[in-house]
Amino acid sequence: MKLSLNKTVVAVASSALLLMAVPVVGLASTAGASGPTFDIGYEGPLTGSAAQLGINMEYGVQLALSQANALENLPFTVHLVNLDDQGSGTLSPAQAQAAIADPNMVAVVGPAFSGATRAAEPYYSAGNMATVSPSATAAPLAFGTNNNFMRVVAGDDVQGAADANFLVKKKHFKKIYVVNDASFYGAGLAAVAATKAKADKAKVLTATYSESSSCGGTASVSQYTAAATQIKASKATAVFYGGYYCDLGLLIGALHSAGYKGAIMSGDGALDPALIKGTTPHSAANGVYLSVAGGGNAFLTGNLASEYQAQNGAPSASTATYAAQAYDATNMIIAAIKAAYAGGTTTASALRPALITGLHALTYVGVTGKIKFQPNGNLVRSSVVDFSQVVKGKIKAIGHS
Amino acid sequence: MISFFTSHFATLRLEFWALLVGGVANGLIYAMVAIGYTMVYGVLRLINFAHSEIFMSGGFGGLFVLRALVGNSTPSGMSSFVLVIVGIVSGALVGAILAALLERVAYRPLRRRNAPKLAYLISAIGASYFLFNMAGKEFGRYNLAVPQIFNDHPVFTIYGAPVQLYAIIVLIAGLIMLVVLDRIVATTRLGRSIRAVAQDAETASLMGVNIDRTIATTFILGGALGGAAGFLFGLGSGVVFTMGFTPALKAFTAAVLGGIGNLRGAVIGGLLLGLVESFSVAFVNGAYIDVVAFVILVLVLLVRPTGILGERLGRAA
Repeated sequence: MKLSLNKTVVAVASSALLLMAVPVVGLASTAGASGPTFDIGYEGPLTGSAAQLGINMEYGVQLALSQANALENLPFTVHLVNLDDQGSGTLSPAQAQAAIADPNMVAVVGPAFSGATRAAEPYYSAGNMATVSPSATAAPLAFGTNNNFMRVVAGDDVQGAADANFLVKKKHFKKIYVVNDASFYGAGLAAVAATKAKADKAKVLTATYSESSSCGGTASVSQYTAAATQIKASKATAVFYGGYYCDLGLLIGALHSAGYKGAIMSGDGALDPALIKGTTPHSAANGVYLSVAGGGNAFLTGNLASEYQAQNGAPSASTATYAAQAYDATNMIIAAIKAAYAGGTTTASALRPALITGLHALTYVGVTGKIKFQPNGNLVRSSVVDFSQVVKGKIKAIGHS
Repeated sequence: MISFFTSHFATLRLEFWALLVGGVANGLIYAMVAIGYTMVYGVLRLINFAHSEIFMSGGFGGLFVLRALVGNSTPSGMSSFVLVIVGIVSGALVGAILAALLERVAYRPLRRRNAPKLAYLISAIGASYFLFNMAGKEFGRYNLAVPQIFNDHPVFTIYGAPVQLYAIIVLIAGLIMLVVLDRIVATTRLGRSIRAVAQDAETASLMGVNIDRTIATTFILGGALGGAAGFLFGLGSGVVFTMGFTPALKAFTAAVLGGIGNLRGAVIGGLLLGLVESFSVAFVNGAYIDVVAFVILVLVLLVRPTGILGERLGRAA
């Protein structure tokens, strides 16, 4: 009995092994045509209240990877692994750990949001994983000790200062109400803008309204009615908001209801058509100024735009904030893998540290301009900040700093 | 210190009417939700913690019906009027259906088994988590805008404060629904059985009141009001799976403030909370309004532990 049981176990086990072996062999033979497969992670919000920005970027990453895989002379295959952190610093460490645990993962595009980046970087750093963020703009991120952090956008010190200049020097607003959403990104951007506006001799009032329960936070939506009343009573002529589009939409709606007639401006976290869709009434979003530290082409254009939009479910390239930056960040990682691979580093585990050095050494000309990193991960070039305005329900470019 | 007060009273004077209108509109939404808590408490002596999800479901109900009816155009005039009613009715219907389902699935089985009150509480919290996570998964975890069914604009101004069409809609719809509910509970046969069960369920059943049906109807009435409130709320700030959390917590506060189990107490509590929150803006930073609400609750309960009108659905209504 015992013997026959063992026989059965052996038989079952061996047939299971055989079954498992078949797909493995199958995989190996397809990959064999183009060398090993390396995973490239993309960490950003694919769900959650600010998912649209994350989705814009994911399609940018995907476009760069498909183009690379279509090249005949690429000696390896690159494969996208999505790491959905919902833009949250609470969820991002788990995604970072998942990325490090993936034996084929060589580098990560992202994390997309600043708060998520701050929380995840220590893990990526410990795992020797290079991260190239298309959009994490909080200024302090680049002052860490991790040399694995890099970003293809300028920090909010650049953006916030340019925004304040735009409002005070260019549009001549004398009294500015600076509101932030208490997020790492929003509070940082607002603080820079407030400091700069004060230096430019404007009167500055500040307030913090944390994310509302309709946008993934816990605060009452009615706080914006309160905010609007206070803003109106302060007689401020311009409002600057540091935060994301969902809460800004609610604030704009409340300002409209309160009869506020002044200007409204926000940064890259609100630069998406979802801002207009989320504002009640939509027409209240007209006139809102938005900025992004892009430089060069902030959006995909021409053939790239058509290819981007041809992907199933992709948003319109002309309004997909950070798609171009995500595309560049991915291409830069691929270029660094190519260089390291040609130099004889051909395993994922060896590529990880090699890519950190490789990316720092690389100068790459992408669609958003020339990219070269400083040792702290910031761009070498001083970035230009692009301004746009909502006109008749559409976001229109209106120049740059 | 003097300048602190003068500057704040200046705000109060300048914005008095705007704060009043905003406070009443918000308060009515709290009141509509608070009624759901208070009615269920009246007949079952328990807090339906899944009520926040009934509120949310009403928002989604109105959103999907209006999406099907309206494209990208913004209707005006008579069609706006009809669509607002359609939205409210769909919100109320979805809320009522979900409330009835909840009663059947999460409460009745426990009642049959004479479960301890703690079991109801856990069952309600479980249902709440299940429902909002489900909604997040099915409808996306981001804020969805309700189609614009009217062009929001200031209809008139009182002493310089613009009153928006949206606020007027909330005021009128809220008042009508609250009055209708009050009449149903006060004058109809159904209302009488609700009051009877609230006062003494055992005696009511001896007198021929069908307890199961009365409890189910109580859930349905509260659910309809909660769902309609969810739609009205969503009309202004969009619909998302977490939208019920804070408003429902406030409404629960309002119900306790007015005297839990007391219908008119819930309305008074809701309006009071809305107004206090609104007027607090003249004195403290708007980011503190959530804090103000709970400070008021504690202060009122210290003086009147049973709330402003005292408890008991049966006696007061």
